[in-house]
Amino acid sequence: MSEYILRTNKLTKKYKDDFALENVNVSIKKGEIYGFIGQNGAGKSTLLRLVTGLAFPSSGSIELFGNANLNELTDAQKRMGAIIENPALFLNMSAYENLEVHRLQKGIPGNECIPKTLELVGLADTGKKKAKNFSLGMKQRLGLGIALLSDPELLILDEPTNGLDPMGIVELRELIKKLNREKGLTVLISSHILSELHQVATSFGIIHKGKLLEELTAKELDEKCRQHLRIKVDQPSKGAIVLEDTLSTTDFEVMPDGTMKLYHYLDDVRTVSRALTNNGLVIEHLSQNGDSLESYFTKLVGGAEHD
Amino acid sequence: MTNLIRAEMYKLQRNKTFWVILLTVTGLSALLHYLVLIGWWQMQGTSFDAAGLSELNALSTFTVPLFFNLIVSTLAGFFISIEFSQSGIIKNQVISGNKRSHIFMAKFLIFSLGAIVATILIPLVTAIILLFLTGHGDILDTSNLIYLGRSYGLYIVQFLGYTAIIFILAIITDDSGKTIIISILFTIVMYAVEKLSMPPFIEVIYENSIFYQFTEVFKFTMTNGEIIKSILIGIITIIIITLCGVFIFNRKEIK
Repeated sequence: MSEYILRTNKLTKKYKDDFALENVNVSIKKGEIYGFIGQNGAGKSTLLRLVTGLAFPSSGSIELFGNANLNELTDAQKRMGAIIENPALFLNMSAYENLEVHRLQKGIPGNECIPKTLELVGLADTGKKKAKNFSLGMKQRLGLGIALLSDPELLILDEPTNGLDPMGIVELRELIKKLNREKGLTVLISSHILSELHQVATSFGIIHKGKLLEELTAKELDEKCRQHLRIKVDQPSKGAIVLEDTLSTTDFEVMPDGTMKLYHYLDDVRTVSRALTNNGLVIEHLSQNGDSLESYFTKLVGGAEHD
Repeated sequence: MTNLIRAEMYKLQRNKTFWVILLTVTGLSALLHYLVLIGWWQMQGTSFDAAGLSELNALSTFTVPLFFNLIVSTLAGFFISIEFSQSGIIKNQVISGNKRSHIFMAKFLIFSLGAIVATILIPLVTAIILLFLTGHGDILDTSNLIYLGRSYGLYIVQFLGYTAIIFILAIITDDSGKTIIISILFTIVMYAVEKLSMPPFIEVIYENSIFYQFTEVFKFTMTNGEIIKSILIGIITIIIITLCGVFIFNRKEIK
């Protein structure tokens, strides 16, 4: 079986003359928590709507659990749970009744899964209270319960923290991590708040104006955002020895072009330059680099706008 | 698809509008039948009159499209359209991994069942109960029961064609209000076609439509040919409209 749970190939969605998505290739591996980042209107929800079958692509294809044709895709959707845009609830029904409708719809045998799911999302004590009397956070949790009811292998959440209070956001994050850790649940989660996704996602896709700008792992993103001193000397191999021997650090990297990235001594640039010059090296470049998550995103998006 | 039918049934049982309609129709039906039975409301010239069942004259009110449309379209608006608009519940159903054609059929079947109960079954049952309560039970002899069975059997076939039309309307409009208003306009147009002089080809179409059959099926005597024609008109309408509905729903983007 394919190691990919979800893949899109040149996925495009066009509304009249506007591209909501243009040639988007997203790849999500089993067990990943994939954070889909983009500004409002970037195309995040459009992609999720296409994947969940709510809308149809103008061109390109979707592969879900290794299935790509329409009938197989519909079948594969049984293995996924999703909240798109806002939780879709029967407002005149209780949390239990809402889950019962979805249990019947999905053909899940026995109703033991309902109290278990209500417990999982923290709505076990809502009794006969109707969903219309729920707070926004409770509605969001009920939506999550509906998505989790069938024990899916892929969970798709579109801006799930909308309307949640800070405690609710923390709880949701912990729940996602727990499900991912304990059940190996693959999660595709979209948000326009980078810092929020950064705390939970293991991979990222950055989308802007319908185009996927970059896909990277959390490790790669951290690397790109990690503060460092960028050093270029006339003899890179000797420079590395100086860093190790004189400054007693191994927390650096030598890049293919000979530039060194030093993650130590960020507040003590003088010591670094003195050590290098005292060992007879000529410093061609020395600067402090690295972005915050937000500035990295802004740079990427800004760059795309100038292209 | 059984799962979907069970889910729709569960939803219908918990639909407030459905219960309000049932109570209203029960009350109204009981009142109208009572007024007819005590002779306060003198209705004449109905199909039931011609069949010698003038005690059931109030039933003819419930077979007029302009009237029963109010019941059917309200149910369509608040059972079907509302899932596409206000709460977006239809999203969960589409995401659930069921084929759209199955979702469509399950919804159509349960919606039609609800409409039949509210528009046909309740008026008929209240009429029969009141007949017995007021001492007119003896009019339900074998020949009259055969007449009622044949008429209502054919009427249900035509009625399913009508619920299919309103069901598609509910899916297209995505809005309860629009569903009710457009369906009222639609029945007014059909009423106008019936009453006003129209070009011959429109009259031919009308005479071979379920709208014409709504009155034809209650004729006291029908030849075998007329019965077969009526069944064919009803079934062909149901098939064509349902196929169109599945086609539309399969291509509909859910907001």
